[in-house]
Amino acid sequence: MILLQCPCRYLLQVLKTQVQNLEKGVELDCQWVEFDDVRYHIQATVKNPNILLLSLSLPTPPPETVFSGGLPQGAIEAIKAAYGVVLQILDPPRDGFNLTLKLNLSKMPPDEEHKQALLVKIASIREVVLGAPLRAVLKQLVSRGVKSNLNKLLSLVHRPNESFFVVPQADKVTVIFPMHFKDSIDTVLATSFLQEFVEARRTAGLGNAPPCLWSSSPPQELKGASEIALSANAGFVSFVIFPRHVEGRKMDRTVWSLSTFHAYVSYHVKCSEGFMHTRMRRRVESLIEALDRAKPDSERADRPAKNKLSIKDGRGSFNSR
Amino acid sequence: MDPATARPAVVIDNGTGYTKMGFAGNVEPCFIVPTVVAVNESFVNQPRPRSTKGSNWLAQHSAGVMADLDFCIGEEALARSKSSSTYNLSYPIKHGQVENWDAMERFWQQCIFNYLRCDPEDHYFLLTESPLTAPESREYTGEIMFETFNVPGLYIAVQPVLALAAGYTTSKCEMTGVVVDVGDGATHVVPVADGYVIGSSIKSIPISGKDVTRFIQQLMRERGEHVPPEDSFEVARKVKEMYCYTCSDIVKEFNKHDKEPAKYIKQWRGTKPKTGAPYSCDVGYERFLGPEVFFNPEIYSSDFSTPLPDVIDKCIQSAPIDTRRALYKNVVLSGGSTMFKDFHRRLQRDLKKIVDARVLASDARLGGQQKAQPVEVNVVSHPIQRYAVWFGGSVLASTPEFFTACHTKAEYEECGASICRTNPVFKGMY
Ligand SMILES: Nc1ncnc2c1ncn2[C@@H]1O[C@H](COP(=O)(O)OP(=O)(O)OP(=O)(O)O)[C@@H](O)[C@H]1O
Ligand SMILES: [Mg+2]
Repeated sequence: MILLQCPCRYLLQVLKTQVQNLEKGVELDCQWVEFDDVRYHIQATVKNPNILLLSLSLPTPPPETVFSGGLPQGAIEAIKAAYGVVLQILDPPRDGFNLTLKLNLSKMPPDEEHKQALLVKIASIREVVLGAPLRAVLKQLVSRGVKSNLNKLLSLVHRPNESFFVVPQADKVTVIFPMHFKDSIDTVLATSFLQEFVEARRTAGLGNAPPCLWSSSPPQELKGASEIALSANAGFVSFVIFPRHVEGRKMDRTVWSLSTFHAYVSYHVKCSEGFMHTRMRRRVESLIEALDRAKPDSERADRPAKNKLSIKDGRGSFNSR
Repeated sequence: MDPATARPAVVIDNGTGYTKMGFAGNVEPCFIVPTVVAVNESFVNQPRPRSTKGSNWLAQHSAGVMADLDFCIGEEALARSKSSSTYNLSYPIKHGQVENWDAMERFWQQCIFNYLRCDPEDHYFLLTESPLTAPESREYTGEIMFETFNVPGLYIAVQPVLALAAGYTTSKCEMTGVVVDVGDGATHVVPVADGYVIGSSIKSIPISGKDVTRFIQQLMRERGEHVPPEDSFEVARKVKEMYCYTCSDIVKEFNKHDKEPAKYIKQWRGTKPKTGAPYSCDVGYERFLGPEVFFNPEIYSSDFSTPLPDVIDKCIQSAPIDTRRALYKNVVLSGGSTMFKDFHRRLQRDLKKIVDARVLASDARLGGQQKAQPVEVNVVSHPIQRYAVWFGGSVLASTPEFFTACHTKAEYEECGASICRTNPVFKGMY
């Protein structure tokens, strides 16, 4: 897996089983948390298997980010546009959540293909809600209408108390991510990952990708942003999005990739650490083998083979029981 | 306060056959997937280029990096390895013990990022291990969890203790009992008193779910059923899970099958993996002979012949004398291979027989002057048996005491991986 998938795997699984077992009905009450502190809660009763209650809680926005009615700007309209009659927004939402939706499975489209596509779309709810403001900005880029907010710095939440920044311009949109990491090793790895990332963008074949830049100090667009945003410990990454990046079906993917960029970097940092450990373990094993080989023959002979030094030492005695 | 304690802990029970993973506080794991990794090894064994010049090296390097990310787990891994020969399957756990740490680390990585999709830095983790796992193995686990995934806190629990805790909501929490955990690759009978495993009395049996599957596969092959050989293990497993049951007496059961074959013989239908042609075969005596290997092991293996009820009895008899009554009273089943219909009835009956015979014998020895108090035998079965270990973990990890019992990242950095060797029993467990 290189990219994080957009639909929530577990939510999709729950929806699919629910749709398959409509006659039987299943009692369901389940909570879980995804990366960037997005919480889900889903509820269903045997009595009325057609109705599912889905609640969503979003990362707390930092002071500079505007939420209206507990949701990012434009989220309500985005939900209505994406799901139509299948979903209904309940007001007020369940305690402790930003949004509660009532799903009516009896209103699902009858043909299989559309039904599956809609289930995937429902499982992608976080992208619809959290990505709403970014989508609005990017849409403006391809529309011919009057453009608002030009050259204004907008801040959009993507992690608890952290936001990224968007500067809409007439022919492009600049997106800037201040990169924060908690762990010092992560910070170092992320910094070099990002530098490599920017380097890779320059290789042939990626000419059409959005230009991107990394710098250790805040770019000038961020003038006036809050102190916390400017204190990123792994530098700042900026992308320039042109109309060609958001045409037609590319829009969804661009919105998702941008709004989960931090999670993407964090995932790859963890992967790198994993692979380094794998290589370190291999190295230790081979060094131990070399040591073993260097022993004089006499010493080797009077030791039974399984007593050889090895990383797996200690477990050996248990396994042979 | 650590904000991670406000989020549900992640509970992962890694078994030989299946991994159960989910969030604490739920009644069901989110995913149950086969514990297997399919790795693209085409780059690992390639000779290193001697010269490091030119873009060729760079291309090869980045291809190698991509291959590092090119792996998958669970059902996807099984499907991928069937359709392509560039993937090798690796089963990181054998007989309940982690054997391949590289594969295990990758498996966890996918569990966290691709299945649960959570940020490991945001959650405390509860992992499980078999009662025979060595402390070194806990150190490795701790190292991977704290170093690679940066988890804020970790607790490694013993599987049977969690299985006992699973009874928590169904009745009063009873942390004394014998857990009979029959999984895919290991069978353990483990006495627990007040949440502590009585280590010296643990009994292991070399027969588990995989052996039942193998036995069924063998029976079907010997009868000449036409199952494609490359599929026969999978078919045997499905037949086992769908049609097997525990009988009360083999001879009677053979008679029943012979008298009314129409009622007892089932049909298995499948399609050949290569040609896609449909085929069908009969499922007969193996329906009850499969589970019978636990009660009459000699029908399957020539080296091991102690029936499971005898092993349980021996286990309890070797435990401290003041715990024995309580142990007989709470024999708890756990693991997928205890799911056969009527398994607990048969176990209850056979165990009771052994105990009653002993009481009778001692009464006779004492010449009838003193009667021993009857011993209560109780084999407990509950509907969540299949993932009792996970469920127990989910219950315990949602108590506030759990977070205080965890080893934290700060402690790990202060003292090193050796802190993971011991994991305290905490309140809520007793
Ligand atoms: N309904 C069923 N009836 C019989 N056997 C079943 C059933 N469901 C699952 N199994 C078997 O149970 C086994 C898996 O059980 P479980 O998930 O408890 O094992 P595990 O935890 O992976 O292994 P272990 O605990 O030995 O490391 C498999 O062999 C599977 O075929
Ligand atoms: Mg198990």
